[in-house]
Amino acid sequence: MTALVAAALSVLALLDGAFAGFRASAGRTGLIDHRRADQLACLRGAVLVCVLLVPVVAIASTEVALNRPHLAVFTRAGEAMLAVYGPYGLVVLAALGCYTALGWRNRYLASAVILGPLTWLRPAVAVAGAILGGAVAVDPLVWACAGLAVAAVLAVEPLAGRLWYAPTRPPLAT
Amino acid sequence: MSGMRSGLVEITDLLWPVDADGRRLPVRRDEVAGRLAGAGQRRAARIVSRMPATGGVLDPEYLDALGFRVHCELQRLGEELQLGRRVAALLEPLLARTGAVRVVDVGCGLGYVVRWLAATRPLGDLVELVGIDLNPVIVAEAARLAKAEDLDCRFERGDALAAVGAMKDGGRTIVISTGLLHHLPETDLPQFFAAQAGLGVTAFAHWDIVPCAWSTLGAWVFHQARMREAVSRHDGVMSARRSHSADVLLTAAQSGAPGYQIAVLETKWHPRALDVLRPVLGVRS
Repeated sequence: MTALVAAALSVLALLDGAFAGFRASAGRTGLIDHRRADQLACLRGAVLVCVLLVPVVAIASTEVALNRPHLAVFTRAGEAMLAVYGPYGLVVLAALGCYTALGWRNRYLASAVILGPLTWLRPAVAVAGAILGGAVAVDPLVWACAGLAVAAVLAVEPLAGRLWYAPTRPPLAT
Repeated sequence: MSGMRSGLVEITDLLWPVDADGRRLPVRRDEVAGRLAGAGQRRAARIVSRMPATGGVLDPEYLDALGFRVHCELQRLGEELQLGRRVAALLEPLLARTGAVRVVDVGCGLGYVVRWLAATRPLGDLVELVGIDLNPVIVAEAARLAKAEDLDCRFERGDALAAVGAMKDGGRTIVISTGLLHHLPETDLPQFFAAQAGLGVTAFAHWDIVPCAWSTLGAWVFHQARMREAVSRHDGVMSARRSHSADVLLTAAQSGAPGYQIAVLETKWHPRALDVLRPVLGVRS
């Protein structure tokens, strides 16, 4: 069960990182063809979230290795977090499926009705999951790990923006 | 529903004034902030008050860079709304029917629609694609972007209310715009349509936001979620609030372009926000 919870949270974090990288890159260059730039941005976001989550994974792994009974506490917290992030992630993936399946005239609806509002709610959802995880575990270290994990996930988009997409070239003078 | 909410101002309408020759005029920060505050838009006034200025005049380099960033964000919105495809779907049969050879996008900004049409060529290879905008820096940027992707289209500086330069052969030209009409006060709309009718253009099609509570709410959520610039977030919502109703557009177009068959291609069912942007279409009789 622990492995399943950890794997599910990891997949969700990776997907969220990839989408955050995409958002950091989108609407920066004005070019028409930006497919490869989008792919690179997703990759950068996914790598960045992995790097930012290293301290959390290290702390949790060390604690569990040294204090085996603590594994059940972390698992409980992970399940609680998954109860929040799982449905959110599934709705996002379903909306992306709709975006792909719908004809071009109605494609924007997936974005306007679901993806846009969910992106807006994302920080609140991330914090809610961490609070639930911490509350279920009732453990200071789990609280700290959940808080660090949420901070890491929410930092991806602004950090990617600063690292790779900060506007540097001034526009043409006339 | 009535037309444009009187008095509401978009920040971007005030930041890039030019003289008749296209030279940029200095912009006094306190004047812009004062005008926004006077319209009851205190948040917008605060946004402008935080912009860098020297001797009370807003830093022109900052404004140019801001303009580019805001237009890039706006292009992203255009991509999500499939603006290029929406325009192409209407123009393709219109071009075939009228024999027009040129499409001119007035108030084109970075020229997303023109460049998308040039990149994907849904209208064929023989249609000339031109973009016009009042802001010389944005026009230069549009041209730079077109060159960067080797696109066959061109951009000129010009006033949407006149736009004569690119339309000397008006009889074979279709004039379009996307998201421009709400920038014009209701009183200027007949003149806008009259300028195109005066040039004898084959047809015009101007897309703009459907004014309703849903489009305003949608604009707010979308801009909060997607836009990085405070200016974009403010102006995006203001655009929806200022947009003109179908009745206002129809009346203005019929008044300004009496020799044209006019229609606002808006569905009758609600919520009309599902249309996103709908065109007012005029075809020379």
